Amino acid sequence: MKIVSMDVMSTGVIAYYVVIASLNGLFTPIMGEVKNRAFADPVPQGIILTAIVIGFSIQALMLVGVMKLARDNPTLETSEIEKNNTP
Amino acid sequence: MNIITIAWLTIPFFIGFVIYLLPKLDKYLALAVTFVSAGYALQLFLEKSPLKLNLLDNFGVQVVADQLGAYFILTNAIVTAAVIFYCWHSGKSAFFYSQMIILHGSINATFICVDFVSLYVALEVSGIAAFLLIAYPRTDRSLWVALRYLFVSNTAMLFYLVGAVLVYQKHNSFLFDGLKGAPPEALALIFLGLLLKGGIFVSGFWLPLTHSESETPVSALLSGIVIKASILPLLRCALVSDDIDTIVRIFGVATALMGVSYAIFEKDTKRMLAFSTIAQLGFILASPAVGGFYALAHGLVKSSLFLLAGSLPSRNFKELQSKAIDPTLWIALVIASLSISGFPLLAGFGSKVLTLKSVEPWQVIPMSIAAAGTAIAFAKFIFIPRGEKQEVKPGLWPAVILLISGLIIANVVYLDAYSIESIIKALGTIAIGWLIYVLIIKRLAIAVPRVPEQFDHLVGVMTLTLIVLFWMALATGTHT
Repeated sequence: MKIVSMDVMSTGVIAYYVVIASLNGLFTPIMGEVKNRAFADPVPQGIILTAIVIGFSIQALMLVGVMKLARDNPTLETSEIEKNNTP
Repeated sequence: MNIITIAWLTIPFFIGFVIYLLPKLDKYLALAVTFVSAGYALQLFLEKSPLKLNLLDNFGVQVVADQLGAYFILTNAIVTAAVIFYCWHSGKSAFFYSQMIILHGSINATFICVDFVSLYVALEVSGIAAFLLIAYPRTDRSLWVALRYLFVSNTAMLFYLVGAVLVYQKHNSFLFDGLKGAPPEALALIFLGLLLKGGIFVSGFWLPLTHSESETPVSALLSGIVIKASILPLLRCALVSDDIDTIVRIFGVATALMGVSYAIFEKDTKRMLAFSTIAQLGFILASPAVGGFYALAHGLVKSSLFLLAGSLPSRNFKELQSKAIDPTLWIALVIASLSISGFPLLAGFGSKVLTLKSVEPWQVIPMSIAAAGTAIAFAKFIFIPRGEKQEVKPGLWPAVILLISGLIIANVVYLDAYSIESIIKALGTIAIGWLIYVLIIKRLAIAVPRVPEQFDHLVGVMTLTLIVLFWMALATGTHT
């Protein structure tokens, strides 16, 4: 559950980057015939692409870890897992 | 030098994957990488002006390699080499070494980048590599500790990303310099990310469990260098403007006092070392301009202490009092403990004098208290009874000898420290600390509650820290 909510959080961050990028305009910044349109800023979009990939891989990694933990803690309650695993 | 920098930056990642292809050569390749890093750091010390490199043009990435970073790079190289020595005979798989070298490379990257996005990427890579190292034994406990670490650090980095885009919105660039005119919420969000990753003050409560429950070599790596990956960016931000400098100094003092007070009452060796890591990070932040040398001294001493503590017969100080330990082990422990308490002839002394000299007047008293507290905490290691010989891991001695000789050689960095006044002060601090330990602390049995270390509270404290940071940023007026 916590991992899913973390994913929701990261989606929020990604959306925020896209919003910031589109503050000046919505058009995709590709060379074409029309000059001086209100282009979207490509830099935040490019950067968030990296963050999406990283976020996705972390997500996958954590889910693998949780699958391993699920064998001994089928209910996956964090409080229970914590109680069993802290000295 | 430009080409060397780029080559040095990419070699660890390249070698990290080559280790998979040539698993027989894993240790040798890994060791070679650390030598390259150490050589590069020494080369940086010889350069007079910081090396600035602009990759690509306008929107390209900028990297800056300077002397402050060189201390951290050197620490990284020596600690990684020592950990490789320690693991030499332990039969770890190629996977372990490969992750270690990727971790080494990503941390090197954090030490030279000057913009928020490269820093984000480097920190995330180091987080993933650290996660894999912690989870390496694949027991339930190690998995839980690793998951907890990755969850906390990833959530922190999400906050950080929002802060980074706010800086971009203001300046159209992600450089650290942009913090100067950035809105207070940007500063608060970015600092929350870095403070959490660096285990500073109340947001550092995830650190003791992670560092103490990992395997010995991994704890040494985590405490020695991984934690410093987000400390150097904090120092660099502090050098951007005076207002930020004040915030960082306040956090430094608060962290030092908090870490020390927990370390004094801790009954478990590895947890005590972890809390002392928090305290020492406070010392590094207390005077940002000279933090590099302190980071070097601390990295060397803390990783050697973790390796040594891993060879002790028990983790409980009470049991250690009744059990006799190997005299040579004891001597190494004493040298390391003395260095961290700031005893002359070791690097801990020079760095502590340098730090205490460059703090602001209001910081002097709390920092001196924290220094005495460190002496109290490490008196626990010094007053352990000696006894008959015992078997230790074969890799321990090369690692510890490397680290301790590093501590002695590092003295040359700041020879001016050796004035009569500062030597007397250092000896006095240690004497007071030991006296308090023998007379009072040894007899006390206070169990410090571990409530703030629970998983739910970690996330709650995160939000509270964010609010505090926001008001601090507003109060110091960085937004003007």
